Amino acid sequence: MITKFSTIAATLCLASITSTQALADYPEKKIDLIVGYAAGGGTDVMARTVAPFLEQYLGDDATVVVKNMPGASGQIGVTATAQADPDGYTIGTYNLPGMMARTLDRDADYDADSFTYLANVVDDPNVIVTPKSSDIDSMEKLVAAAQERDGAITVSMSSLGGDDHFFLIRLSEETDAEYTIVPFSGSAPARSALMGGHVAMGIINLSEVVNFRDELNVLGIATNERSELLEGVPTFTEQGYDLVNGSLRGFIAPSGLPEEVEASLISAFEKTYEDPKFQEAMLKSGNPISLTTGDDFQALNAEQLELAERVWESSPWK
Amino acid sequence: MYGSLIDALPAVLSLGNFAAVVLGVITGICIGALPGLSATMAISVLIPFTFGMDPLVALGMMAGIYNGAMYGGAIPAVLLRIPGTPAAVATSFDGYPMAQQGRGGYALQVSVVSSAIGGIVSAIVLMLLAPPLAKVTLLFGPSEVFWVAVFGLSAIVFLLGGDVLKGLLSACFGVFVSLVGLDSISGYDRYTFGHLELLDGINIVVLLVGLYAIPPAIALLEEVVDVDTSTAKKLNTTSLWKAFPSMLRFWKTWLRSSVIGVFVGILPGAGGSMAAFLSYNEARRASSNPEDWGKGEPEGVAASETANNADTASALIPALTLGIPGTAVAAVMLGGLMIHGLQPGPMLFRDNPGIVFGFMWQFLFAAILLIVLGGALATNSFAQVLRLPRPLLGAFIITLVLVGVYSINGRMFDVYLMLGFGFIGYFMDKLKFPLPPVVLGLILGGFAEQNLRLALRIGGGDWTALAANTTSKVLIAMILLVILTPLFSRLSRRKKSESTA
Repeated sequence: MITKFSTIAATLCLASITSTQALADYPEKKIDLIVGYAAGGGTDVMARTVAPFLEQYLGDDATVVVKNMPGASGQIGVTATAQADPDGYTIGTYNLPGMMARTLDRDADYDADSFTYLANVVDDPNVIVTPKSSDIDSMEKLVAAAQERDGAITVSMSSLGGDDHFFLIRLSEETDAEYTIVPFSGSAPARSALMGGHVAMGIINLSEVVNFRDELNVLGIATNERSELLEGVPTFTEQGYDLVNGSLRGFIAPSGLPEEVEASLISAFEKTYEDPKFQEAMLKSGNPISLTTGDDFQALNAEQLELAERVWESSPWK
Repeated sequence: MYGSLIDALPAVLSLGNFAAVVLGVITGICIGALPGLSATMAISVLIPFTFGMDPLVALGMMAGIYNGAMYGGAIPAVLLRIPGTPAAVATSFDGYPMAQQGRGGYALQVSVVSSAIGGIVSAIVLMLLAPPLAKVTLLFGPSEVFWVAVFGLSAIVFLLGGDVLKGLLSACFGVFVSLVGLDSISGYDRYTFGHLELLDGINIVVLLVGLYAIPPAIALLEEVVDVDTSTAKKLNTTSLWKAFPSMLRFWKTWLRSSVIGVFVGILPGAGGSMAAFLSYNEARRASSNPEDWGKGEPEGVAASETANNADTASALIPALTLGIPGTAVAAVMLGGLMIHGLQPGPMLFRDNPGIVFGFMWQFLFAAILLIVLGGALATNSFAQVLRLPRPLLGAFIITLVLVGVYSINGRMFDVYLMLGFGFIGYFMDKLKFPLPPVVLGLILGGFAEQNLRLALRIGGGDWTALAANTTSKVLIAMILLVILTPLFSRLSRRKKSESTA
């Protein structure tokens, strides 16, 4: 009996050794990390900050090479990742809700099932801002002004079909008012138009307001709990509006990734996230971080897709 | 604030950081001088490598490349009528005729001195006036920017050349090209035919290279007879210091063009080409002999080159303070800052004064270095390209252009697109359609359209909203002045000639 037990134990041991060996085999060559934007953008900076930590935690002298494939708001890059061989040697950056919204408003060559969801790293919540000189410095005043006349409030934001747009549609539902959308190309021009007083309010992200605290009124932040980066700014939930939304940035691989490769990548992302040096680097680049991995990330994606579909059906943005 | 400026100086003068600027300026001149390679491209290629570098080394190289390339673009514009960068289009108007008259060397010297002056003024403005000028940028909302674009478009009238109809057709072609891509306001794709590569619109470099570099390269190959390889002698270069006193008469143009360059720089989205076009126009209008312009007037070269360098450092004012880059190059440089964890905004000046003010010093040094490095490099070595046998030169240009265009986004699609524009450009050249209106149409067409639509959205569809505030009214008055003055002067001249008759 004892011998039999020990055989089983030995077999188990052996099995675990072989599986660790399979793990140890990965990675045996360089890993391409596809970024769908040009070098120097927010997503690119995240990828380049993560890359050296991934190399360290994947071990075995792993090399992660960042490859920029800019164009079509990230769609070219993410399509390339979706169509790559699922061997763990091509991974890519992923943006929500943008990448899912593209499957609705364009002919995309990928869908929610095209990916293995590795880790979402950045969660950059939406904020509502008004110019410092504006009379509207609270949600109460904003809603009152918006309800007075349809379209009375002009809203600058970075694009159509992005997190800020979805946020606005939810805001419109929550506050029972119509807003006038003024879509700029990028958050910085949207923020500048606001600072110049050319529009009444702006929807941007937490990371884009941190360096402009003295120039803007922040009326609320779309998170469940208040953020350390913006002290004294209440959440929308505590002001009575059910608004939790933001821009998410993470990492994906093509679907059908071998399980042990997926596990080793996810564990490398987890260790990266725990590393204080990584947290410091991300904070310095103004990225609010929050980790969601594997199945949870996939669920998060499904949730975002559902929201996008709902918005697309009720008020298509094109 | 000015204290931090002085504090930042020692670090900039350290050997490594200073060498980075020198290296950047040399690289920039070479890149600008090679048709098809642009500063935007060079800096975006550089950015990934700077990730591990000391910020000031990386930024110093970028400052050097930016300034160097803005001058470097003038070299082929003068010698071959192929602008090395989009901003050098206006330089070729008078630079190339000068080279044909055997004054190419002088044209290059005027370019280098004017570039340096524009760059120095711009750097000083950046150092001393960044925060107040950022407030000026904020005054320009969509309706104001729309009027600036219209003001720029009014310059087309002067670029039409002999045949007004052909000129207008060229301009329309440029505006049409600007329509391609995602319409950022409605979200619809326009003329993309399902190609994702076209969603972001057509890159100005792809169009410029196709229209400007391919036809002359073909022309070089067409002429089988290898005639004049001694053209380089015709450059007639004298020492820069001997040539300098004769340039002092351009001081008014230098001053005016610097102001225009700085102003265009702080407006987001316009860029060096618009600065150069506007300043060329203004200088011509102010000139006592406007009829000589376009036939080899050195002041035209001075106007264009001063302005396109004067917008380099000033384009960083909105980039650093507001996160909105004034030019495509400034946009890429902003990426270079972000990669070092430097987020634009008012806090940047407080949190990282050493780096921000160091970066500004580097702009100033890069501009000054232009005279030394640009003077020596350009007149003595780059001008020698004209000694090359013509078929070799043609082949060399085509190779460079193919590599350059491919490297913008790393895809063949852009190369095919560029060759398509080359095909169009070849026939435009043969049929004597002017090229500058196409460039201006592409740059300003989309710019005007987007801002007009944003302004109308803000105004709730009411057209009077476009002229609602003082800034807009001043701009409209300026536009009317520019368009109507020539008409009135023509009328009065006609009356005079009638009365004398």
